Amino acid sequence: MESLLKSFRKKNAISVIMNRQKRFAAADDSVPSGTDAARELARALHPKKQYVKVAAVTERAADVKSFTLVPDPARGTESLAWFGAGKYLTVFVTINGMPVTRAYSISSAPKDTLEGKYELTVKLVDGGLVSRYILDNWAVGTEVTVSAPEGNFEYQPLRDAKTVIGLAGGSGITPFLSMAQAIRDGDEDFELILLYGSRNKDNILFFDKLAALEKACPRFKVVHVLSDADAEAGEGFEKGFITAELIRKYAPQDAPYSVFLCGPQQMYAFVDKELEKLGLERKYIRHEMFGEFHNPAAQPDYPAGVPETVKITVTQAGETKTVEGSSNDSVLQILEKNGIAAPARCRSGECGWCHSLLISGEVYCPKQLEFRRMADKQFGFIHPCCSFPLTDLVLDVPEAK
Amino acid sequence: MSNNYDVIVIGAGNGGLAAAAECARAGLKTLLLEKHNIPGGSASSFVRGRFEFEPSLHELCTVGTPEKPENVGQVFQELGAKVDWRTHNSTYRLIVPAKEDDPEGFVGENGVRVKVDAAMPVGFEAFSRKLDSIVPGSYEPSMKIFKLSTLMFEAFDMLGSGKVNPVKLMTKYGDVFKMMSHTAKECMDEVGLPEKAQGIFTAYWCYLGGPPMRIDMLYYMAMMHGYIKGGASMPHLRSHEMSCAIDKVIRDNGGEIRYNSEATKVLMKDGKPCGVEINGKTEVYGRYIICNVHPNFALPDLFPADQIPEDAKKKANGRPVAATLYTVYLGMNRTKEELGFHDYSVFIAPTADSDEQFHLSQGKMGGGYVIINCMNEAIPDCSPEGTSILFLTGICYGDVMQGVKPQDYKKMKTKVADEMITRCEKTLGLSIKPYIEEIEIGLPPTFSRYLNTPYGSPYGYQLDMWDSMLPRTIQYGKDQPFDNFLFCGASQERGDGYGSAYYTGQKAAGIVIKKFKEGK
Ligand SMILES: Cc1cc2nc3c(=O)[nH]c(=O)nc-3n(C[C@H](O)[C@H](O)[C@H](O)COP(=O)(O)OP(=O)(O)OC[C@H]3O[C@@H](n4cnc5c(N)ncnc54)[C@H](O)[C@@H]3O)c2cc1C
Ligand code: FES
Repeated sequence: MESLLKSFRKKNAISVIMNRQKRFAAADDSVPSGTDAARELARALHPKKQYVKVAAVTERAADVKSFTLVPDPARGTESLAWFGAGKYLTVFVTINGMPVTRAYSISSAPKDTLEGKYELTVKLVDGGLVSRYILDNWAVGTEVTVSAPEGNFEYQPLRDAKTVIGLAGGSGITPFLSMAQAIRDGDEDFELILLYGSRNKDNILFFDKLAALEKACPRFKVVHVLSDADAEAGEGFEKGFITAELIRKYAPQDAPYSVFLCGPQQMYAFVDKELEKLGLERKYIRHEMFGEFHNPAAQPDYPAGVPETVKITVTQAGETKTVEGSSNDSVLQILEKNGIAAPARCRSGECGWCHSLLISGEVYCPKQLEFRRMADKQFGFIHPCCSFPLTDLVLDVPEAK
Repeated sequence: MSNNYDVIVIGAGNGGLAAAAECARAGLKTLLLEKHNIPGGSASSFVRGRFEFEPSLHELCTVGTPEKPENVGQVFQELGAKVDWRTHNSTYRLIVPAKEDDPEGFVGENGVRVKVDAAMPVGFEAFSRKLDSIVPGSYEPSMKIFKLSTLMFEAFDMLGSGKVNPVKLMTKYGDVFKMMSHTAKECMDEVGLPEKAQGIFTAYWCYLGGPPMRIDMLYYMAMMHGYIKGGASMPHLRSHEMSCAIDKVIRDNGGEIRYNSEATKVLMKDGKPCGVEINGKTEVYGRYIICNVHPNFALPDLFPADQIPEDAKKKANGRPVAATLYTVYLGMNRTKEELGFHDYSVFIAPTADSDEQFHLSQGKMGGGYVIINCMNEAIPDCSPEGTSILFLTGICYGDVMQGVKPQDYKKMKTKVADEMITRCEKTLGLSIKPYIEEIEIGLPPTFSRYLNTPYGSPYGYQLDMWDSMLPRTIQYGKDQPFDNFLFCGASQERGDGYGSAYYTGQKAAGIVIKKFKEGK
C-alpha cells in the first residue's frame, strides 16, 4: 500500500528509548519534594482535624456560652484554617464512651484565624446531649478536637444578590455574626440586613456586639424581632415574627435581594411559608442546614409496622459487629450509642461524610434531608445521619478518620 | 478477618477501580484502599441544592453501542458493570473571537465578531466537508488523516488479537509507525492540511494536555478518531454511576473496599514492599501492591527516603507534570433553550493556533482557552425541569498557586470564575450570570485535595515526544519501582482520560494475575 506519509522515515524504537533513558540519566536523583503550592493551600484550608484548646469562656445569656478556641501545638496544630464566613466546625467529643459529633457555626471573624482564634457559641437545647456536655464541661484549658471549616452557607458574589436579608433565630445568629465582621474587615463584599428573632430583649445574643458592628460598618444593619407579647419595642425593634411583610419593609425596593435563613427547625417551617408569599426565585433563598432530624414516625410518609428495636450488623475496616438500637434513632446515632465512631460532619444529610453501603435491610430518609447522589440510591449507598432503620440492617461503614 | 491479601490496591480512581475489579474477578484476595469516602477520584459527582454535578467527565469517546462496544464500553461489558450510557452526536464548536479591526473577523451566528466559528459534525466525511467549507483545500488532507487513524485501529486490533503477522504489520501498517514517531503537527503538514484548518482539527488537544507540536499523531488520533467516528457518551447519573458500578463488581467478586482509608506508609521487608499502613495505625499485608497515586507524591509520602530506588526518583524528577484543569460548575435556573445554548461543547480560544494556546496557559490561569459545556445537550434530564447545568473549564500548567494565601483564595476563585463566565457571555452573545442558582469553583487546590496529584493535575506526566506512548509502553516494566509494586492511572503509558486509566489498571492487574498463575 502506498504511504500517506511518504517523506517520513520510520524512527527506530531503540533510539526513541535511548533518548528517554538519556533524559532520565541526567535528572536529579534526590527524593521528590512531594509538595507544591496547590497542595500546601489545600492542606492549609482543609486540615484533617484541628487540635485546639479553650482559651476563654464567655457567658452570653442563661445557658448560652461562647468558647474561644486556640491552636494546641502540643497535639500538632500550629495554626487555624482560614474559613469563609458562614462555615461551621464539627466538634468531636466522647461522652460516657460514646463518640459523637455536632456542628457549630463559627461566630468569630475570619480574620481572627490569623491571630489563632475561633469562637463557637453553644446554646443549650432542651434535653440535648452534646450542648449540655459542652456547657457543663468546657473550661479554660480543655482540649478540644474540631474538623476543618465545612459547609456551604456562604455568600457567593456570582450567585447571590448584592443585598442579603439575613433571617436568624436563636443560636442561628452565629454565622451572620461572622458574616457581618467579614464585611467590616473587607473579606466579604455585600450589604447585610439582619432580621434577628428573639423572645425578648434579654434573650438577644450578642446585642452589644451587633450594635457596635452596625456602627462600625454602614453595610450592616440589624433589626431585632421580638416575639413575646409584652416585649418592649422601640427604635431598631419589631414585634411579632419574621413575616413576608417585615421582609418587604426592610428589603431593597427596586433591586434583587437574597434571603439567608439560619435558625431552629420550627423557624424554617414558619418562615418558608412567609417566603412563598414574596414569590422570590429559588436562587435567592438559601437555608443553613436543617440539623439533626428527630421523630421520623411523625412524618406522613413513614411506613406502618416498624419494629421498635432493630439489629444492625456493621462492618468497619474489616471488622464486623452486631448491635441493637431503637428505630426512632438514626443509623448514625445507633452506631454511636454502641460506641462505634462513624464518619460525620453536618448530621443533616447534606455533606455526605457519613456515606455508607447498605448491604441489606430498609431505611427511611425524610424527603427534606435527601441529598444523596442519584447513583447512590441505585447502588444502595445511604447517609446514616438521616437514615432511620425500618428493619434489621447489614451495613459497611467507613472508618471515622 | 485476616489482614493478609494477595493484592492491595491503593486509590480507587479509575485505574485503581479497574485493577481491583480485575484482580477480584480472577479470584485474588483483593483489598482496595481509598482515602476519600466515595470511589472514582475524578469519576464521581457532587450535589449542590437541586443539582448533581459532574466533576470531570466532558465526554467518553469509545463506549460504542451495546452490540458493538468499543474500548471503554468493552471494559464495562467484560467486568459486568452496568451503566446507562447516553450518547450524543456532536463534537465541538470552536470559536475564536475577533477584535473590531481584525480584517479576518466576521459576524458569526451569535451576532458577535469572530475569526473562527466552526461547529464540527460527527462522521469523517461530514467533518472533512465542513472543514473544507471553512478552509478550502482541507477535505482531501483531512480524509487522509482519518484514513491513517482507521489503519491505526486496524493495526491495534491485529496486535490485540495476538495473531500478529510481522510482514503485514510492516508493509500495510508502516504509516502507523510513522505516526507514532512524528508529531501531530508534522503529520498534518505532511498531508497538506492548511495551517488554519490545523487549528480547528486539533481543538481537542486540551483533552490530552499536549499541543500538536509536542504530541505524536498516533496519540492524538487515538482520541480524535473515536469522537469523530461515533460521537461521545456519558453515563446517565454522572461518573459516580460508573464508579459505583465497578465498586459493585469488586464486592460481588469477593473483593474488599475500604473508604476513608488513606495509605500512609508502604511497609518494607528485605528491600521490597510487603504491605500498607492505613490511616497511620492499621497494618495490612499484600504480596502485590498496585498504586493509583501519582508517583511524585506516592514515593516521598509512602516510602522511607532510603528505600526509593534511584531510577524511580530520577523518573519522578525528570518528567514534567501534565496540564491542570480548573472548572466552574453552574446550576442554572433556566433551560438551555431559554439561555440560548445549542451546542454541547464550545471551545473559546484566544487564538486559532493550538501551540500558542498552550503557551498562553503556562504558569497561570485565564490565559488559554475556556471550554463551555451544556450538560443538558448530552443528557436532557440531567437537572430538574426548568433548569440546566453548565460547566466551564480552563487549562493551565505548573504551580499556578504560588504566593496565594488561604485568606485570598475565595476572592481568587470568584475572580477566575467571573472572568471565565464573562468571556463565555461575550463570545456567545448570551447571558449567564443572572440565572446562576448554584455555583461551585474548582481550582488546582480543589483537585489537589481530591486527586492528591502534583498541582492538582488529573493528567499525569506531560506526554511529550521524548516521553510518548511508544517508549512508555516498551519501558513499562522498567518504570515500576519494584517488581511487586506497580503504578496505574494517568501517570502511566497512556496518559490521561478515563479509558487510559482503566487500561493501565487492567494492565497492572493482568501482570499480577499472571504472576500468581505462575506461582510467583
Ligand atoms: C450547620 C450547623 C450549624 C450549627 N451552629 C450552631 C451554633 O452556632 N450554635 C449552637 O448552639 N448550635 C448550633 N447548631 C446546632 C448544634 O449542632 C446541635 O444540634 C445542638 O447543640 C444540639 O445538640 P445536642 O446534642 O445538645 O442535642 P441532641 O442530643 O442532638 O438533641 C436535640 C433535641 O432533640 C430532642 N429529641 C431527641 N430525640 C427526639 C425525638 N425522637 N423526637 C423529638 N425530639 C427528640 C431532644 O430532646 C433535644 O431537645 C448547628 C447545627 C448545624 C447543622
Ligand atoms: S454527616 Fe453530613 S450527610 Fe451525614
